[in-house]
Amino acid sequence: MIRVLKLEWLKVRNYKSFWILLGMYLLALLIIASGGVFFLEWLKSKGADFDGIDPTILPIYDFPDIWQNTTYLASFVKVLLAFIVIISVNNDLTYSTMRQNIIDGISKKEFILSKFMQIIVLALISTLFLFLIGFINGSIYSHVWGVEYIFDELEFLFAYFYEIVVYCTLAFLLTLVIKKAGFVIVILFLYTLMFEPIATTILMNAPYFKDGMAPEIAQFFPIRSLNNLISVPYTRYVFMEIEDNVSYSALAITSAWFLFYLGSIFYILNKRDLK
Amino acid sequence: METILTINKLSKRFGRIQAVDKLNLEIKQGQVFGILGPNGSGKTTTLGMILDVIAPNQGSFKWFGGERTVDARKKIGSILETPCFYPYLSAVQNLRITAHIKKAGNENIESILRQVGLFDRKDDKFKTYSLGMKQRLSIGAALLSNPPVLILDEPTNGLDPEGIAEVRALIKNIAQNGKTILMASHLLNEVQKVCTHFCVLRNGVKLHEGSVSDTLGEINKVDVSSDDLVVLGDVLKDHPGIESSSSNGSIIELTLKPGTLATDINQYCFKKGITLKKLFTHTNSLEQEFLKILKEND
Repeated sequence: MIRVLKLEWLKVRNYKSFWILLGMYLLALLIIASGGVFFLEWLKSKGADFDGIDPTILPIYDFPDIWQNTTYLASFVKVLLAFIVIISVNNDLTYSTMRQNIIDGISKKEFILSKFMQIIVLALISTLFLFLIGFINGSIYSHVWGVEYIFDELEFLFAYFYEIVVYCTLAFLLTLVIKKAGFVIVILFLYTLMFEPIATTILMNAPYFKDGMAPEIAQFFPIRSLNNLISVPYTRYVFMEIEDNVSYSALAITSAWFLFYLGSIFYILNKRDLK
Repeated sequence: METILTINKLSKRFGRIQAVDKLNLEIKQGQVFGILGPNGSGKTTTLGMILDVIAPNQGSFKWFGGERTVDARKKIGSILETPCFYPYLSAVQNLRITAHIKKAGNENIESILRQVGLFDRKDDKFKTYSLGMKQRLSIGAALLSNPPVLILDEPTNGLDPEGIAEVRALIKNIAQNGKTILMASHLLNEVQKVCTHFCVLRNGVKLHEGSVSDTLGEINKVDVSSDDLVVLGDVLKDHPGIESSSSNGSIIELTLKPGTLATDINQYCFKKGITLKKLFTHTNSLEQEFLKILKEND
């Protein structure tokens, strides 16, 4: 485990693009997780109000709601983190260094493990970073304070961690199959943010579909199920009652996808001749 | 002598092409073994299979009498056709990765870089190197863990004459230390110059296998000429050690029976009162043998 981690470390330590991408991702997390106050201020300046309520008094940074609010938002930029994984895997394919690594003396399994450990570490970094930002924002803005509030609902951070791991594993698999970084990035970006959301929205809302099984089926889509892990938190400020637990059905569906991705990666690499 | 590698009925098919067909080989410690064959004869595929990057359809191979292949590979230095390194890393950083994979430690890196003449450029990125330098770095990477076995695939491809001479000297040097070398090449004089044993592949089938000295051992062609070729021809007809002769106008080409030497011919002619103007002994080259082997199997 340490051995494959060190292998990845030696590959990225002096790789500028890696650090730039990681920096950009963390910056995006920072902005998206801390921008709420400014967003509400902007809404107010535009004259928006919610049934006579001033938007800036919405307690979006209150513990423990802050965890669901920030992880929900943060999951929108996970595609940026996947770019790092795509580039890292693609480098080893296009430079034929995966082949060279294997010839030099690692197994295909160890290679897969090294990339997977990279994913775990990246997910760990972003989760801890998000916890830190949330903690700081909470300390500034939260109306309540205390261990029982701060460490409540941390399950959303675990869900976020898991979401990123599964999503990056999908990026790993796609890169192995398609073998062209630019292409994978475009496909993953479009699929995550456009194709699948549009498809599932149609399945759930179009008159022809919405009375049948289609809305149920939509929940099984790979991105939809990942997004379902952390449900939309903001309706709480309107309806007062929302889904404020990590969804177990989404957890089961994403786990099935996760196993499928990992299994496919092993299957493909074991069968593939490296030339 | 200890067997390093045993290949048993190894076969690989790419679509309709049978790249390697039931190949059997045994390589013993200390041999410099050349795999000869025209382009596309299955040399690189064979090396790919024994290095676990190409999955065989059939057959098996065993390193060091059956060691786990992933461990065996750590003890093998490989130089394949194209040098594969991370272009954004320097020579030192690239070799650190190799050393880590081979569990070799970083102490050797500087001396290896000196040995292959890259020490002055050790901190420059790999992508700034010329082809010769890239090739030298892969030689360095192969030697890094001081491996008992070396695999070379067209080792002098793309090198300038000086580089080719260096690589040859290096191979001989390494072989003298009792190391085993397996190399694939289509350059026959390369194999002839450095190899002790060789096999010939064509379309994935092994046509011939043997030691280089045995194959080249029978030197039996001699050219002679004198002032009067007709007289010379008549005289030589009576020599019992000559299998056949042919004249092309200026010389007579003799094929000798085994056991007959060029000196015998010279002596014989002198006794018969003929002074030879020219006596030339052909040295067999692997090229002739190679072409002969290919022809025999047509």
